[in-house]
Amino acid sequence: MSDQSKKLAGCADRYLQYETDEVMTWCGGCGNYTIQNALKRALALENIGRDNVIFCFDVGCSGNGSDKMEGYTIHGLHGRVLPLAAGVKIANHKVHVIAEAGDGATFSEGAGHVIHAVRNDYPILFLHHDNQNYGLTIGQASALTPKGCKMSGCPQGNPVDALNPLEIVLSLGPSFVARVSCTDTEHMTEIFQKGLQHDGLAFIEVLQSCPTFNKDTTHEWYVENIKYIEKELPKYDPTDLWAAKRLVMEETMYLGMIYHNPEKQNFLKAVEHWDPKCPALVEDVHQVDVSGIMAKL
Amino acid sequence: MNTRTRLRIAGQSGTGLLSVGSILIRSLRDMGFYCVADREFPSLIKGGHSCFTINFSDQPLKSLSQTCDILVTIDKPSTQAYFDTLDEGGVWVHGYERPVGLKDFRDTADKRHITTVHMPTRTTAKEVGGTDLQQNVVLTGMAWKVLGLPYDILETEMKRKFAKKPQFMESNLAALKAGYERTEYQIPQTKYQIPKKKERRMLIDGNHAIALGAIHAGVRVYYAYPMSPSSSILTHMADYAKEVGMIVKQGEDEITVANLNMGSWYAGTRSLCATSGGGYDLMTETVSLAGIIETPWVGIIVQRPGPATGLPTWTAQGDLNLAIYSSHGEFARCVIAVSDPEDNFTLIQHALNLAEKFQIPVIVLSDRVTGESLLTVPEFAQNTIPIERHLVTGKNLEKLDNHDRYKITKDGVSKRWIPCSHPDKYYFANGDEHDGMGRLDEDQSAGEMYAKRFRKLETLEKDLPEPEVLGVKKEADISFVGWGSSKNVMQDIIGQQGISGKRQGVRINYLHYSYVYPLKTKSLEKFFKDNPNVHLIEGNHTGQLGQLIEQKTSLKFKGKLLKWNGRPFFVEDLENYIKEQMPKTK
Repeated sequence: MSDQSKKLAGCADRYLQYETDEVMTWCGGCGNYTIQNALKRALALENIGRDNVIFCFDVGCSGNGSDKMEGYTIHGLHGRVLPLAAGVKIANHKVHVIAEAGDGATFSEGAGHVIHAVRNDYPILFLHHDNQNYGLTIGQASALTPKGCKMSGCPQGNPVDALNPLEIVLSLGPSFVARVSCTDTEHMTEIFQKGLQHDGLAFIEVLQSCPTFNKDTTHEWYVENIKYIEKELPKYDPTDLWAAKRLVMEETMYLGMIYHNPEKQNFLKAVEHWDPKCPALVEDVHQVDVSGIMAKL
Repeated sequence: MNTRTRLRIAGQSGTGLLSVGSILIRSLRDMGFYCVADREFPSLIKGGHSCFTINFSDQPLKSLSQTCDILVTIDKPSTQAYFDTLDEGGVWVHGYERPVGLKDFRDTADKRHITTVHMPTRTTAKEVGGTDLQQNVVLTGMAWKVLGLPYDILETEMKRKFAKKPQFMESNLAALKAGYERTEYQIPQTKYQIPKKKERRMLIDGNHAIALGAIHAGVRVYYAYPMSPSSSILTHMADYAKEVGMIVKQGEDEITVANLNMGSWYAGTRSLCATSGGGYDLMTETVSLAGIIETPWVGIIVQRPGPATGLPTWTAQGDLNLAIYSSHGEFARCVIAVSDPEDNFTLIQHALNLAEKFQIPVIVLSDRVTGESLLTVPEFAQNTIPIERHLVTGKNLEKLDNHDRYKITKDGVSKRWIPCSHPDKYYFANGDEHDGMGRLDEDQSAGEMYAKRFRKLETLEKDLPEPEVLGVKKEADISFVGWGSSKNVMQDIIGQQGISGKRQGVRINYLHYSYVYPLKTKSLEKFFKDNPNVHLIEGNHTGQLGQLIEQKTSLKFKGKLLKWNGRPFFVEDLENYIKEQMPKTK
């Protein structure tokens, strides 16, 4: 039994509170199973209860987990989960806010939001489910589908180059960038825990297999092709932005903490008159006296 | 005797006409006058002609006249643009160095019995130790003298305005005094009444008032993306954020703003956003989300003429249909329209309460003229509208079933509680169709949830107040029905605050909708029954409220006064329309 499993055995109730009895609706072998498993593990190990976390879901296969996580969830609009989650966090900074979205939402429909969510460093754990296609709409190419892949809607092969998601994110001045794979639940759990501890936007790319529509980067392909920063690159410094940029440009998919900037100030902390000790805005709705303002008009 | 005195200052944008206007209107306010003021300006920062118009009276007034009694012009292009708005027998104040170049205007002035008051303002400013920049200060003194009002009030206001720039104080005061003292002409004192009592009134516009109303009602976070004419709400909110301990965030676009607003409402605070029609177009998908997850969401549309960029700095009432019918699917919502600062302050508070009571999106419609016109109003009454949140809290949370959140009820309203307020009473706020706790439900019975949500519209309609009637109770010679800023001009016409009381003797009344949707029709039916000659007044091309009324009732309007050229309804518009419709009256 691994250390993580031993620890989990000690907090089984905290894990089980999020478990659902519902019939799952993902394909067999879908990466979402292990991703949700790892997220529940991370929440249990961080001792985060249902009264201390709000889950925000985009639309797509990942979004269909919105009623399979037994806690307070919101299932919003396609592409818009980042501003939705930011609005939740601003209103209630005392709870953890987790946002999940696929690659279609993150780098097509909602690409503009990525730029500004990272720039504002809203304190959210963001799981980017990257299965390199639109699964729920049955297999179209996304902005992350490699050129040449034959997909629904491009039978001759995707004619344009794919984006490199982390290269983009690293150009935005992030505070926390990591990469994990759905093939390694323990490692996902560790990184998700780090993301939950982070006081800023934790952008975590989750390499996700899609057994139905993505025949190129399968579970087995990931197992063979991923490498771990911690094992392979002992001298890697995650505070070095240039090293991070070089790393994500490589063909090898390295997993682990890619970049961390502890100096970055998140949006709330950047508000001059905001104090983390002050009541959350949800606790603070009251009639405000504006007579002082009116007297000056 | 005129019931209002109309002063217009015209100049190219960026020439300082606003500071002249600001000092004059504040001085008039300090004299105890009721004032209304608005500016016309093109959508650019410098150049183009613009004007600032002040109408004032010892009686309350809320709308403007299209023409003026006194025209102050800063430069030639603005003289060209606005000279014809100066009424026969009026006064033209200007400060050109070489009035020779204005011969055509001087000739016209003579023909129209216009008195010209002139002084070379640049030379005057320099003579008393100032610079070119102070020529407008000379002009301000000239205008005040023409009004025949006491110098000390003007001087006090000048000192207040430039308190933070003491280095210019001496020369400013010298220029002001020179303008005042060297001007000899004064309009006859019989032209208007100086107020007997000096009651303290604020000088405030609708955008400012709606910000204060929202702050007072417990809005803790405000989101916006800049868009004329809503942008000053963002400015005010940001200015007060520290003082009142709220968060103000400018998002990257209106879709973001709508979703930030959505997230904050869902999490359980009071949140607000504002935009104009084009920005609201982008928000509509999120409004639909609010509809299905039954979460309050409040947004303001400060209207300007569309389509597309349209006329960004002008006014319209063209987005009623947008507010009522936009967003995919069918769901309950409420549309409220504001007309003046008082309305802005109070109706936003009701909007927030209704959004929480019915767990629906509430859209507050304002327009440029409401948002940006300055009015003199008493300080708003506070603590008159309690915050009503309708949340399950404290020990009552224990009694909840998770399925209570979207439980199918007769009136359509289910219980709502703040996420995370209880560890076991979680629910899913699901944008997919769902069951009582929000779990995905695609069975045929899903239609019941759809109908349950829609039932809230009937419940809401019963809950809303009936429209109000201004003017005579019944048997008016002519009646109007409208919404939004139309109320201001109607109030002035009914209160005989027109140009010169020309329409005295005509019995007028007006039915005003503050709560436009869902439409209440009981008072309206009675209004039509009691009054034989009912007309529609709306600032759009199609008569959108009229269409809604005709769709829901069998009532027919005798006529429609519609306007869509970016200008608000002026008192002349009403006077002329009434004259056309009632040729037999004098």
